[in-house]
Amino acid sequence: MNDDGALAGLKVLDLTTARGHLCGRILADMGANVIKIEPRGGDAGRRFGPFLDDRPHPDRSLFFWFYNLNKRSLTLDLKNPRGREILLALARGADLVIESFAPGAIAEIGAGWKELHAANPALILLSIAPFGQTGPYRDFAADDAILTAMAGMLYVNGSPGRKPVRPLGPQAYHSSAYYAAISAMCALFARDRIGHGQWIDLSMQEATISAVEHVAGGYFAEGRVEPRRGTLHWSRYFRVARCRDGYVMHCSLGDWTSLVQWVAGDGKARDLVNPEWEDVVYRAEHAEHLFDVLDEWVKDYSRDELLERAQMLRLPYASVRRPEALFEDEQLAARGYFVEVEHPELGRKIRYPGAPFLFNGTPWRVRRRPPLIGEHSEEILREELGLDAAEIATLAAEGVI
Amino acid sequence: MAPMPLEGIRVLDFTWVVAGPVATRILADQGAEVIKLERKPGPPGSRQIGLQGDLHRNKRSIAVNMSHPQGVEIARRLAQISNLVIDNFSARVMRMWGMDFASLSQVNPGIVCVSMSGLGHTGPRSSYVSYGPTLQALGGYTMLMAEESGEPSGFGYSYADMSGGYTGALASLIALWARKRTGKGQFVDLSQFEAAISVIGPALLDIAANRREQTPPGWTCQEGPAAPHGAYRCRPRDGDDDRWLAISVRTQAEWDRFVAAIGAPGWAADAKFRTLYLRMRNRSELDAHVAAWAAGQSAETAMQLLQSVGVAAGLVANGADICARDPHLKARNFWGTVTLPDGLTTHVTGIPMKLSATPGAIRTVSPEIGSSNDYVLGELLGLGRAERDGLIADGAVWP
Repeated sequence: MNDDGALAGLKVLDLTTARGHLCGRILADMGANVIKIEPRGGDAGRRFGPFLDDRPHPDRSLFFWFYNLNKRSLTLDLKNPRGREILLALARGADLVIESFAPGAIAEIGAGWKELHAANPALILLSIAPFGQTGPYRDFAADDAILTAMAGMLYVNGSPGRKPVRPLGPQAYHSSAYYAAISAMCALFARDRIGHGQWIDLSMQEATISAVEHVAGGYFAEGRVEPRRGTLHWSRYFRVARCRDGYVMHCSLGDWTSLVQWVAGDGKARDLVNPEWEDVVYRAEHAEHLFDVLDEWVKDYSRDELLERAQMLRLPYASVRRPEALFEDEQLAARGYFVEVEHPELGRKIRYPGAPFLFNGTPWRVRRRPPLIGEHSEEILREELGLDAAEIATLAAEGVI
Repeated sequence: MAPMPLEGIRVLDFTWVVAGPVATRILADQGAEVIKLERKPGPPGSRQIGLQGDLHRNKRSIAVNMSHPQGVEIARRLAQISNLVIDNFSARVMRMWGMDFASLSQVNPGIVCVSMSGLGHTGPRSSYVSYGPTLQALGGYTMLMAEESGEPSGFGYSYADMSGGYTGALASLIALWARKRTGKGQFVDLSQFEAAISVIGPALLDIAANRREQTPPGWTCQEGPAAPHGAYRCRPRDGDDDRWLAISVRTQAEWDRFVAAIGAPGWAADAKFRTLYLRMRNRSELDAHVAAWAAGQSAETAMQLLQSVGVAAGLVANGADICARDPHLKARNFWGTVTLPDGLTTHVTGIPMKLSATPGAIRTVSPEIGSSNDYVLGELLGLGRAERDGLIADGAVWP
């Protein structure tokens, strides 16, 4: 099969601000031609840390790098009428425009759905906004923290009675990006059926709600307001325990007989040898006692020892690792998860997290490192719009690009 | 009814538990014909309300015994007339049934197979048994969801199942798109572990490039510096003191508006809070002042007050807030409604994307196991009543 990617041939204009960056990257990773359109001076995300070697610079932001691998960069002043014209000209040849400005902002500069659709009826416009394009909170300001709060994700993280805890990574942004990419793919399929593009209203609040499994379900099924439960999983089958050199995660699913034999062999089973514990529902109902007994059992094991022995018995235990451990993980190494990306202007190779899925025909691939500000402005204007060097120089002199 | 984006795509769905069903639910909402192949009896409890109702709506179900050769034959015939076969078993299961990509692509060259196993089909740990929570633990999420003491304090749910689910739906769509373009199917080996760690984000680059050991993010601004930035406890509501307001103040203009909105208290004029840099440096003191202000406010009113001046603030919403009270979600008709077999209705989580011309729809409640036996075996496979009865009598199909 051709190796130019599953999404080869798709042209995407990525106007997103930091909260929308990831969607275009996912598409670029799979072969779409993604043009990142940045304001002059660069995207605001370039000013977010962490920075390479802790030296703040718009071309050294690891935040920006993570979200913009495989994209090309064009700087364009969208508020300049000539900049807007260039955007519309590019849109004539594009399949998808992604934006994450405040609702209504692109319409104000004359590049909203109406104008884009008139310029290219086949074009799909994907608008990613904190609360979507309609409704009383439409104009509310929000970052990832506010979104996780208003989607019910934050409330259930942390310990009872204590302050809610934020997860690792901006997960409202990430969940939204995946749903956004899904919606873009759906609109592409739809275009072949209905013959034209459409406007997608992606609410980040709704996408984040959809990334929490149990809050709405618990409420609608039983009127239960899901509390914070610390590490005790709401299903009551999992809990974190302290062991000799860190933490492990108990799991009371899996082969109970094997687990109890092991624990009993260590002389720590106490009442868990009684037959009522063979019932998985009973184990969930009495999870606190169960895990208290098992906590005593695991405390002298090391994480690795426990994990390996448990997995040999097909018990779904896990060690609670730090993210640094991923870089030493044999499984990830065997599957080539991390990939080296060369940054020639820095003389450095950086290991990037790689493919979230392995396609055997049209694989995920690094095509280019994240772009420097405006790195491809000339190339894009020449190739996509056929502008010549003099025209491009004029645009640069006028501050349009 | 508006056309559906994925109309005409048929999915043979072997998935179970959470991650796989989330993936196929997303496809079903957009019009794919998802046929769940299941065994009887299923797990106890209703699967039409709550999380289970969310997972299986819009799907069809057939009850086929894969331990029976004729059951496997039915599955193989269905794979021939499907576009996507999806599972979340470990590698050996589909191979054992001859339902793996290598076998199926011989009878259906355009087939896309997506397998969403825990740690992938290859590598030394491919046989590990896992669930969402254990994958989060292996990935670093659990360790870094911690109190200030460093003690792990979450997740209390399976985020990895949800990230696995949406990643699975996306992988399916991308592979189906490639097939449309090239006519060729392919195999997608999706490790739910890798899907989960792929959404950790820039922190992994910080480890790779700067060798920095990560600390629990807490309220340290993973999306650009801000102060005040945190969750602040508010006045109790109906006796419930677990009410919090999240606030993020970034620019100087936002700070000025924030100060004015809360009544320009004396402490806010202190030189130590003059710039964002100083506010970040003196954040614990700043937080104490903001916390004291918030303690006298209702979270909802304070949110409205701050948002009215363009300051990012949001109620730390609980289940009742999002499901029953949030006026915005109501105005957008986010929550779906399905009719249960007894005629009552229940709500399910809505579709988080609105496509203007082909919005997708929540059409049917989660099916009873085997409720589409007649449609699938009769209409799709052309088996007559007598043949279907014979399969039931032989134990290949459950009635």
